[in-house]
Amino acid sequence: MAQSSALPAEQYNYDIVRKFTIMAMVWAVLGMSVGVYIASELAWPFLNFDIPQLTFGRLRPVHTTLVIFGFGGSALFATSYYVVQRTCQARLAFPWLAEFTFWGWTGGVALGALTYVSGITQGREYAEFEWPLDIAITLVWVSYFAIYVETLRRRSQPHIYVANWFFLAYILAVALLHIFNNLAVPVSLTKSYSLFAGVQDAMTQWWYGHNAVGFFLTAAFLGMMYYFVPKQAGRPVYSYRLSIIHFWALIFLYMWAGGHHLHWTSLPDWVSTLAATFSVILLMPSWGGMINGIMTLSGAWDKLRSDPIMLFLITSLSFYGMSTFEGPLMSLKSVNALSHYTDWTVGHVHSGALGWVALVSFGSFYHLIPRLWDRKIYSQTLIYVHFWLATIGIVLYIVSLWVAGIGQGLMLRAFDDYGNLAYTFIETVEFMHTPYVWRALGGAFFVSGVLVMVYNMAMTVRAARREQPVIEAKLAKA
Amino acid sequence: MSDNTVNAQQKSGAVQTTGHAWDGDLQEYNNPLPRWWLWSFYGTVVFSVLYWLIYPSWPVGDSWLKGMSTVNYTVTDKATGKEQAQEYRWNTRSQLLEDLGTAAGDQQRKAMLAKVQAASYEQIVKDPQMMEFVRSVGKGLFGDNCAACHGRGGQGVVGMYPNLTDDDWLWGGSMDKIHETLVNGRKGFMPAFGAVLKPEQLDDVAEYVLTLSNEVPASAAAERGKEIFQGQVGGCYYCHGANGKGLASQGAANLTDKIWAIADVSAQKTPQDKKTVVKDFVTKGVNNTRVMPAWQDRLSPIDIKLLAVYVHQLGGAK
Repeated sequence: MAQSSALPAEQYNYDIVRKFTIMAMVWAVLGMSVGVYIASELAWPFLNFDIPQLTFGRLRPVHTTLVIFGFGGSALFATSYYVVQRTCQARLAFPWLAEFTFWGWTGGVALGALTYVSGITQGREYAEFEWPLDIAITLVWVSYFAIYVETLRRRSQPHIYVANWFFLAYILAVALLHIFNNLAVPVSLTKSYSLFAGVQDAMTQWWYGHNAVGFFLTAAFLGMMYYFVPKQAGRPVYSYRLSIIHFWALIFLYMWAGGHHLHWTSLPDWVSTLAATFSVILLMPSWGGMINGIMTLSGAWDKLRSDPIMLFLITSLSFYGMSTFEGPLMSLKSVNALSHYTDWTVGHVHSGALGWVALVSFGSFYHLIPRLWDRKIYSQTLIYVHFWLATIGIVLYIVSLWVAGIGQGLMLRAFDDYGNLAYTFIETVEFMHTPYVWRALGGAFFVSGVLVMVYNMAMTVRAARREQPVIEAKLAKA
Repeated sequence: MSDNTVNAQQKSGAVQTTGHAWDGDLQEYNNPLPRWWLWSFYGTVVFSVLYWLIYPSWPVGDSWLKGMSTVNYTVTDKATGKEQAQEYRWNTRSQLLEDLGTAAGDQQRKAMLAKVQAASYEQIVKDPQMMEFVRSVGKGLFGDNCAACHGRGGQGVVGMYPNLTDDDWLWGGSMDKIHETLVNGRKGFMPAFGAVLKPEQLDDVAEYVLTLSNEVPASAAAERGKEIFQGQVGGCYYCHGANGKGLASQGAANLTDKIWAIADVSAQKTPQDKKTVVKDFVTKGVNNTRVMPAWQDRLSPIDIKLLAVYVHQLGGAK
């Protein structure tokens, strides 16, 4: 491998990458554990214990915020800071500002979770932060943008690598989404009212909500994929042309599709139609990333047998392909009439969140950890263990919510011979109990895999720390 | 770089990398777009254009393309009562109106609703088909509106919500009375006697109440209780009647039938425990704890009529 002569750790700012990597794992454990707990509350409601702070309504945004912004966000900060430095051959710009993004982001996520538990929330899905935290996040994000652009500007490479297009698009789009969705009139430090009302407000929320999925959870993680898959495979990306076409198509099309979350509501019918069709057209651009990732491995499939990290990456792309097929399907009005307001939607989100976002992050982290701490991974076997725990967990999760969601959807629209509803609402709830138990179990599998990873990572870092003085002593003697 | 795993295309020299390299070994092939991918992409575009033609789509000026899809539904003219077929462009509302007119079993449902609407309670009860319809509608109506308190089968919760399956009706069990209960709601009330009677007197009243249904044998205490119950000191007979059989117009319980809706006497083993729960109840009374909401603004008149029959047939029909 052609390497620059300077040690990477000296040439690049790895410290910030390490910090975000560690926090990503901390948030993963916390956020996913909360997820398992609230999944169990749905199966066994007594787990509320009649304590307001423990109820589903308050813990659910804690779960989503910790996993999306805590785990996902920190993983993106870590990998984007790593990738931009390595592919630009330039040290990260504004180190003090990068430090600020770490403390600002970490503090923001932590405060967010605390405020939700206390019942302070904007009530906007995936944007529950009240206005003071929104402003703090904006500052962090603008700093992130400045660092990223300046590092790109200082690159010693003539071309900007594809991963950086995706990261930059995500940083820009999330800034736009965050600011417009959170326009509000504050009435006190902990309470504000949205600038929008009625169906316009709903549209703004889902324009944000859907593109949070599109740019935060898709485009950005594609950026991650575009670096770590070819790196780990040791092979060139399959097609540069495909990467350009699917990048621009994805970026252009995603912004239109948010309305499909509001089918069969007071949303104007024409908005609903456009949202459905743009979701359908989005299918192939989404798959472009999957093809480029999976085909990168073509000719080296044997790596799937010998390299557990490759297993993580390729499986994540498969789940990505599956959920980006399922999404357009569910966005059709007729399918949505069945799936809307059921747990099919929740299952769909998790096939993307667990299958794609989390697995590609884990794979990338397993690639990163030995490089960040300059030490071989503690146990290769434990990576396999993690992989299987995660995969079994995802399958249990998705299948049980297909059963719960499609089952409930069918029950809600079933009529008897007289054209009366065949089931009462409570019967559909009773029906979902068993799938809910399986779903919670699937989540528990997934979390236990994460715990295995944390152990593996901690042991690697510990060994690296123990070795450090020995090396230094040797160097001193020589 | 792993040159030993070059794929077939590259071996033949057909595909080159772009010539750029990042971070040492990061490169990109310049493979053409996969054909199936490209054609599928075009396919989704064609699909979408067709979808735009069928459904309301692009905004134009201050309106929008209405789409070619139409739906047919019948509307009832409110003035003349005549049904009239309508054709309208597809939108969510016209689709709903069509569904309401054509969904499985809908004609049957309309016919039965008209029949039930015209029939008296006596006629409905005697007609097996109408009763079958009542049970079909009632299951959903009762399950979605009433079951949260009264339980799915109407069994209620002792101390909280009346049991609708037994033969004991606080406010009257005729269909008219049930109808009245549904329309206007009910508010149970009994004064708290803790402030009026002395503890010994409360003991005596409780003892007497229990003798009314032979829960405990007659005694001197019960005799003293009877005087309070039927005299001006307690005045219990105003509502419960001199014989303790209750008064439906006041929602006053029948105390002689061994059916205990609030004080859970049936669950108590010893006479002493039974007396304790009754005494406790008489001490506190009922105030704002036994409220049945009024349904006239939430359910349609025909739904309330159907529910009255449904509740009546749950098991406690008089």
